[in-house]
Amino acid sequence: MIKTEKVLHLKSCRGRKVRVVREHYVRERVPCFSALCQADCDNHDGKVLPGDLTHYVVPDVGVVVDYLEILEFRELQGIVFTQTACQAVQHSKGRRQYNRLRTLLKDPRHDCVLFANEFQEYSYCPREKGERQEKWQTRCVYSAAVWYYNHLAGMRDVVMITEDQEAVAQYSSLHSGVYVISIKDFLENFWPELQAAHELYSSISQALQEKESEATEREYAEHLPAEVLEAGIKSGRYIQGTLNISKHRAHSEASIAAEGLSNKNSDLSCGVLVCSAKNRNRAVHGDVVAVELLPKSEWRGKDTALTERQGEEKSGEDGDRKPMPTGRVVGILQRNWRDYVVTFPPREGPQPQSRNSQRILVVPWDHRIPKIRISTQQADALQDHRVVVRIDSWESTSLYPNGHSVRVLGRAGELETEVQTILIENCIHVPPFSDAQLREMPVNSPERPWAVDAAEVAERRDLRRSHLVFSIDPRGCEDVDDTLSVRSLAGGKLLELGVHIADVTHFVPEGSLTDLEARTRSTTYYLADRRYDMLPAVLSADLCSLLGGVDRYAMSVMWELDAQTLAVDKVWYGRTLIRSSYQLHYELAQALLNGEPAEVPELDGLGSEERDAELARLTRSLETLTRVARHLRAQRDRGGALELEGVEVRAQLDEERNITALVPRQPLEVHETVAECMIYANHWVARKIQEAFPHQALLRRHPPPRQQFFSQLVDSAAARGFAIDTGSNKALADSLDQAVDPQDPLVNRLLRIMATTAMSQAVYFSTGLQSQDQFYHYGLALDRYTHFTSPIRRYADIVVHRLLAAALDVDRGLDPRRAVAGNKELEEAAHHINNKNRAAQQAQKLSTELFQCLYFKDRDPQSDRRCVADAVIYSIRDNGVLVFVPEYGVKGPVYMRSREGEVVAVGQDGCCEWQSGSVRRHSDHISTTSSCGTSTFRLFDHITVRISVRSLHCHADALNLEVIRNEPHRGAAEPQRPSSQGRSGLVQEVVRLAEEATQQAQEKAARRPKLSREEREFSQSKTPNLYSLLEEVRELALLDPEAASRVAAMTA
Amino acid sequence: MVCGNMAGLELLSDQGYRLDGRKASELRKVQARMGVFAQADGSAYLEQGNTKALAVVYGPHEIRGSRSWIRHDRAVINCQYSMATFSTAERKRRPHGDRKSTEMSLHLKQTFEAAVMTQLYPRSQIDIYVKILQSDGGNYSVCVNAATLAVIDAGIPMRDYVCACSVGFVDETPLADLCYAEESGGVSSLALALLPRGGQIALLQMDARLHQDHLDALIEAAMTACKGVGKVLDEVVRLHLKEVSVLTGE
Repeated sequence: MIKTEKVLHLKSCRGRKVRVVREHYVRERVPCFSALCQADCDNHDGKVLPGDLTHYVVPDVGVVVDYLEILEFRELQGIVFTQTACQAVQHSKGRRQYNRLRTLLKDPRHDCVLFANEFQEYSYCPREKGERQEKWQTRCVYSAAVWYYNHLAGMRDVVMITEDQEAVAQYSSLHSGVYVISIKDFLENFWPELQAAHELYSSISQALQEKESEATEREYAEHLPAEVLEAGIKSGRYIQGTLNISKHRAHSEASIAAEGLSNKNSDLSCGVLVCSAKNRNRAVHGDVVAVELLPKSEWRGKDTALTERQGEEKSGEDGDRKPMPTGRVVGILQRNWRDYVVTFPPREGPQPQSRNSQRILVVPWDHRIPKIRISTQQADALQDHRVVVRIDSWESTSLYPNGHSVRVLGRAGELETEVQTILIENCIHVPPFSDAQLREMPVNSPERPWAVDAAEVAERRDLRRSHLVFSIDPRGCEDVDDTLSVRSLAGGKLLELGVHIADVTHFVPEGSLTDLEARTRSTTYYLADRRYDMLPAVLSADLCSLLGGVDRYAMSVMWELDAQTLAVDKVWYGRTLIRSSYQLHYELAQALLNGEPAEVPELDGLGSEERDAELARLTRSLETLTRVARHLRAQRDRGGALELEGVEVRAQLDEERNITALVPRQPLEVHETVAECMIYANHWVARKIQEAFPHQALLRRHPPPRQQFFSQLVDSAAARGFAIDTGSNKALADSLDQAVDPQDPLVNRLLRIMATTAMSQAVYFSTGLQSQDQFYHYGLALDRYTHFTSPIRRYADIVVHRLLAAALDVDRGLDPRRAVAGNKELEEAAHHINNKNRAAQQAQKLSTELFQCLYFKDRDPQSDRRCVADAVIYSIRDNGVLVFVPEYGVKGPVYMRSREGEVVAVGQDGCCEWQSGSVRRHSDHISTTSSCGTSTFRLFDHITVRISVRSLHCHADALNLEVIRNEPHRGAAEPQRPSSQGRSGLVQEVVRLAEEATQQAQEKAARRPKLSREEREFSQSKTPNLYSLLEEVRELALLDPEAASRVAAMTA
Repeated sequence: MVCGNMAGLELLSDQGYRLDGRKASELRKVQARMGVFAQADGSAYLEQGNTKALAVVYGPHEIRGSRSWIRHDRAVINCQYSMATFSTAERKRRPHGDRKSTEMSLHLKQTFEAAVMTQLYPRSQIDIYVKILQSDGGNYSVCVNAATLAVIDAGIPMRDYVCACSVGFVDETPLADLCYAEESGGVSSLALALLPRGGQIALLQMDARLHQDHLDALIEAAMTACKGVGKVLDEVVRLHLKEVSVLTGE
C-alpha cells in the first residue's frame, strides 16, 4: 500500500541554507469526498460534495492565498481545495489565515472539501530540478484536477481557476473536461449574478496591484523575526501582551496587558504604556505584540484629563501623573484583524484626476483603528457611505495600512446603516436562517399541526394531568422558556416544587445545522429596536415555547421539600411532558396574590362557580410558591453573603421607576419569586452536572472584584461621609445599604452603580480548567452556578441541557447517546459564548447610544426644553467632571475648561458662561477661578446640563453635555412631563421617525424598496415590547452580566 | 511572515495525514540486510525511512581489558553507539563520546542484557558497535533493530527479537515511528523496546511530559508498532537464511 519516495527540500533555518531530506509516502487510495465516487473511496468522515453540480472547482495556489474571501461565498459550490494550496496558505499567510481556511473546510454550511493530492500516487508530481516553486505548485494543482476528472470517470467537468495567465495558456487545451480559466472569467461565466463576488474580486486585485507598486521609504522600524521575538520573550527582554488602544486618546496612547510573566515584576502588573504611533509600530488594536521597555527616563504617565474624542495634543501636564512603564513594539506575534466599518471622507473641492485619486484614506468607525488606505474606482459614488473593509497588510514603508473594500452598508447617518455598523463592529453575523436549516425544523402549520410523539410520551414523565403548571412572564412574551409548578404531597407533609424548562435540545440535535448556527450566534441579540433570534422562529416562538394549553416537551427539576422546614428532601431531574395551564404575566400574578380582582383569560369560558374554584387553586399555588421563594432567599441570605445580589436588583428597580413613567408598573414581589426559582434551578443543575462530570461541566462563575477597582467608590463615598467596606460581598452590601443620603436618593444609586462597575464579569467556564474554590459566584453567593433556564435564547443553556441529559443517562446506567464534550472542547465553547455575550452587550449598549443621539439630533438644544436636564456629578477629572443624567440614563463628561482655555464661570443667578480663568482639581471638588470669582463643583452636586448632539461624520454621533446652571434643574422637581418619558419613549419615537422617513423615501422613489424589506427581514419585533424595555434596564445596570441574568430570568 | 517555525507545523492534518503522508499508525519503510561485513562475527545494515544504521557484533570472546569486569555467571555486553559526522544536515563535530552517545550506549546495553541469553557464555564478552550513517529520527529504535539483526547474524542466542519503535502523542492520537521533523516539532515521545512474542518490555524510555491518562494508549500503540517491526525483521532473517543456505549448498 505504501510506496516510499524522497523529496528534497531546500530550507533556510535561522538564515542558513540547509538541505533537508524528507520522506514522502504516497498511496493509491486517497478519499476524494465526492458523492459521485465510483471507486468506493472512504468518504465517511467529513463533508461530501454533492453530485448534482455542473462542475467542480479546483482553485490554484495563488487564488487560495489571495482570493480566499471570494471562495468563502456560500453560493460557490463544489470547491476542491488541494493540499498544495493549503500548505501554501500556511507558509505564506501565517496561522491565522490558515485557521480561517480550516474552519471553512470544517463548516458543513460550505460546500468544499480538501483533497490530499500530494499523497495520491498518481496526482503527485515531484518538483523538477530548477523548477520555480509557483510553477511546480500550479502543476500539482493541475495534476490534481486531472486526477479528479479521471477519478470520477469524466462525469463532472473540473474547472481549475488560476491567476497565472501562463498556466491558462499552457494547460487549458491539454485535457478535455478539465478547464483552466482565470477567476475573472470564472465569475463572469458561472456566477454573473453574484455581484458581491465581482466587486470583492476587483477590490482585492486592486489592493494587490497597489502593493506591488509600493514606495520604499521607511516609516516604521522593521519588526523583528519570529525566532528573535520568541527567544526575547523567554529571556524576559520583551514582554508579550495584547495591545489595547485607549478609546479617548487613540492617536497617542495605548497599553499592553501583559500576560503571565508580569507578576515577577510588580511594576508591570498594571500594564505597559505605548505612546505615539511610532512606538506602536503598525500594531492595531487587539494584536498580540512583543514590546521592549524604554529606559526609565522616558517613562510617562497616563493622561487623566478629559479630552475630546479627536485626541488633541496634551502637553505640560506631566506634573501630577505617575510615570508607568513605557515601551515600544518590536514585533507582532499575532494579528487580530477583523472586518472594519469605515466611512469614505467627503471630497474637499474638485480634485484633479491623478493616478493617486483612486487611493483613498478611509476613516474607520472605531476610533482605535488607524485610517486605512484602499484603492477603489467608486470613490465618488461611495462618499459618505459606510463600507466594510479588511486590512491586507501594513508595510514598514507605509504610514497607513492597506486594505480593500468588501461590502457597502449604506449612507452614513441612516438608521439601517448605523445598526448594521454596530453589528459588524462587534463581529455579530446574523444572516437569515438558510433553507437547509429551516428544513431541519419540525412543521407546525394549520394544515399539518405538530403533535407529541407516542414514543416520546412513553419515555418522558407525563405531568399533564398530575401537575398544575403555569408560566409567569412579561406581558406579550412569545418565547416562554420556563414554567413553574408546586403541589403538596404525602398529605401535606411534603411540598413539590417544579421548574420546567423548554426542551430545546430535543429539537436541536448536537451537530445539526441549526445547532451550529445557534452555537455561532450563542445568544439572541437584543438591540434597542429589534432582536435577532438564536433559533428559528418556529422553535423560539412556537414549539419550544411553553405556551398555555398545549402539550410541550420540557426538561424539569423537581424538589421535594419538607412542608414545614422547607428543607430539600429529594431532587428529581428529567425529561417531561407538560401542558401549561396558565400563561400569566407579572401584574396578573401579583394581583392574584394580593387578592385583587383579576381577569384570567384562561378561565373565561367557565361557569362562575367553577371559575372561582380554579382561581382559588391557582392562587393557592402562587402563594405557596411565594412562601417557598421567600424562604429560599432567606436561606441564601443566611448561608452566604447574598445581600449584594439583592442590592443590584434594587438598584435596577430604582431604574425601573424611571421607566414606569411610560408603563405604570411597580416592582413586584412576584418578579423576585420567579427569579429565585430560576436561580435555585440553575444552582441545582450546576451541582448535578458538576458531580456527574467533574472535569467537563459548563458552569458560570463570578470572580470577586479586584480591590483597586473600588477606590473610586470608596473615595466618592468618603466625600459624602460614608464608609464603604469592600472586604467581602456581605460587608459591601451592608455598607452600601447604610450609605443613604435622605435628601438625595440619587447618591445611593450612584454609589451602587459605581459598585457595579467595579465588579468583574461573570463568565462561563469548564470545570476541568479551574480548581473548585474558583467556582464561587460572588454576586449570587453560591458555590456553583450555571445557566439552565433559558435555552431558547442562550446557547450555554443548551450545552447545560445536553450535559444534564448525559448525566441522567449515566445515572440510568446507559451510555450517553453521544460522548460528552471534553474539557478542552467545552472550554473553547465557553470562551466563544463569553465573547459573543460581550459582543451582544456591547452592541446593545451602542444601539442604545445610537438611539439617544437620534432622539436629540433633530432638536434644537437652545430652544427645546427636553434638551435641558438635571445631572449629578459622580467623578472629578483634571479639566471637568463626569455626570450622570438620570432622566435619560446618560453618562458623560462636562468640561470646565474649553479647548481655548476658557473656564466655566458661574454668574449671580447660577447661570454659567465661558470666561478666561483657571481650573483646580481637588479630590472631591473642582473649582474654577475667573474674573467673576471662584465657583466650586462638588461630588454629587446637581447641576443643569444642556444636551446636544456632536455630529461626527465618520464615527458614531456622540452626546455633548454642557453645564448651564450650577443648581438642580427646575424641571426635575416637576412631575413627569408627558413628552419625555425616558429611554423607551425615546426608542419608540426614533423608530417611528425612521419608519416615516423610510415610507417617504419609498413613496418618492419606488426604486429603493430594499430598505423596508431589510427591515421586515431583520426586525422581527419592531415595536418595543416589554422585553426590550427590560433589556434596557439590563443595559442600565452598567453591563453587569449578573444583574442582567436576573432581569433576564425575570423576563424569560 | 511566520514560517519555518517548527512548533507551527501541523503534525497531524485534519484528515489524519502526517507530514510525510503516513497515517498515524503507519511505520516508515524498513529495509535491512544481514551479514554485510565478512570479518566481524555478525553485522547488519538497517534503514528505517531515512534513518540508516550499521551494526557490528564481535564475540562472544574473552574479556579484554580489565579483568575486574569478568562475570562468572554470564557474559558482559559492551555497546558503543556513534553517529557518523555526515549523518546530520550539518556536519557533526564529535561523532562519539558525547553525553548523548554515552547515554544511548547505556540504553543499548540495558536492552540487550535483557534479551541476549548471556548466562550461556560465562566469563566472556560480547561487543556491539552501532553507527548511525544517516539520522532522521528514531535513532535509538533503529539501532536496536539493526543490532538485533547483527546479534542474530553472529549466532548468539536471544530470548526473542528485540524490536524497538518510538511513538509520539499529538492531538490525542499516538503517532508511530516518528521522523526527525516530528521529533523536533515538540511532540512528547516515548521509545519502547519489546520482545514481541512474550510481550515483555526490554526498555521503555521517555523524557517528556505526558498526562498519565494517555500513557496506556501510548504504550499500546508502541507495542503494536514494535510487533510490526518484529514481523519485518523476521522476514529479513528468513530471507537471509534462505540466501545463506543456498550459498552453503545445504
